[in-house]
Amino acid sequence: METVKRFYMYSLRGLLCVLPVLCLLLAGCAREGDVPDPAAPRTATVFAMDTVMDLTVYGGPESLLSDAEELIRTLEEAFSVTDPASEISELNRTGAGDVGDDTAEVLRTALGVCERTGGRLDITVYPVLRAWGFTAGDYRIPTDGELSSLVSRVDWRRVSLEGNHVTLGEGQMVDLGAVAKGYTGDRLLSLFREAGVTSALVNLGGNVQTLGTKPDGSLWRVAVADPLGSGYAGVLETADRAVITSGGYERYFEENGRIYRHILDPETGIPVDNGLISVTVAGERGVLCDGLSTALFVMGEEAAADFWRGSEDFDMILLTDDGRILVSEGLEETFTPAGTWAAAPVTVIRHD
Amino acid sequence: MIKTKTWVLILGALLLTALLSCLILYTRPAPGTVANIYRDGVPVRSVDLSLVTEPWEFTLSDERGANVIRVEPGRIAVIDADCPDRICVEAGWLSDSASPIVCLPHRLVIRIEKNAAAEGDPVPDTVSR
Repeated sequence: METVKRFYMYSLRGLLCVLPVLCLLLAGCAREGDVPDPAAPRTATVFAMDTVMDLTVYGGPESLLSDAEELIRTLEEAFSVTDPASEISELNRTGAGDVGDDTAEVLRTALGVCERTGGRLDITVYPVLRAWGFTAGDYRIPTDGELSSLVSRVDWRRVSLEGNHVTLGEGQMVDLGAVAKGYTGDRLLSLFREAGVTSALVNLGGNVQTLGTKPDGSLWRVAVADPLGSGYAGVLETADRAVITSGGYERYFEENGRIYRHILDPETGIPVDNGLISVTVAGERGVLCDGLSTALFVMGEEAAADFWRGSEDFDMILLTDDGRILVSEGLEETFTPAGTWAAAPVTVIRHD
Repeated sequence: MIKTKTWVLILGALLLTALLSCLILYTRPAPGTVANIYRDGVPVRSVDLSLVTEPWEFTLSDERGANVIRVEPGRIAVIDADCPDRICVEAGWLSDSASPIVCLPHRLVIRIEKNAAAEGDPVPDTVSR
């Protein structure tokens, strides 16, 4: 009897020792994802500006993503060329008028890029783009006469902007498509920043913009799409940067065995075909990177390299149709080619 | 006073429960490669691709049209659709989280959510295009 009692006593002591351990074990059983984690990302998908937008934020108030969506809708309503009620559509119909602060701001920045790139970006190319059917998808090849008549009216210098008042030149129409998403990204990141968010990633139809680093302090890994396939040409590790790519591969049509891509040379009104197949621009301001990626694509390899040497506010990655990669100095260490581009020859463009 | 024997029984039962619950929690299938399908940004279907052994297909349709989706071990694709651009079909197979399949006309997105356990994996966070 005494032995049995002692046995129970030992068991009791043993169990009392094991109990705290058990509690710890049980607590450890709660797996990641079972409990809401304040550091977990919140995401939203928004269909706007004729594309799909993915927003990812870490932290911030509950209403942040719906505020972000509302901001996107507001900007879309102002900038859209396809919505007849937008400020831009109204301007294109009447040729002159007052626009809101956002439209004035994005026009001012866009005209700045037009000037800085010597018209390689030109926001008045829209009527030519429309004649090719790139805006509505009803692709066709315009006649030479039609083209020369339309191209004669393409000139960003005839657009005047004073305060919020815009006047277009005779027969001109503007399209903010080359900068609207970049501007929207800048506005979204400001919204997140003001709400106390220090880590966010947005992908607006392929335009990537990052706020801070990932929550663990590591860099965002932004892939550059392979213009010739479905994978990536490489991965750029970055923080606090916009990474914006232009390439003819996103919208094009084929006729009589020739491929016509949607980026037009504003001087000729004809799709650019200069050996570049993708231009990625990385910098602090999305709106600038967006406009520059189109302008550099139009410039071609050599002029783009020269332009970069004369600038200090962006870096770039160029991919050519003969399988070469050109990277500006600032991205030399952070861009890693991948997939079929892993073995491609890389030229680093440096300041002289 | 409660008998020592009773204490032992209670604690024993507790131990058993603890062990059992741990066993259940740990043997539950680990979150693998899960493909989530969204319509208008709202999740409508979820497929754990790591549990797929035999390929199968299903169709998602609404008033905008239909997308035929094929699931194979570890990957998913839209193999047919009646949308005008068929970009979702041309997108091919999706097996990582970097770039979703999007059918803009049907407002459909197929996305593989990043597995939290796959820290430091080589899959990019997003794709610039």
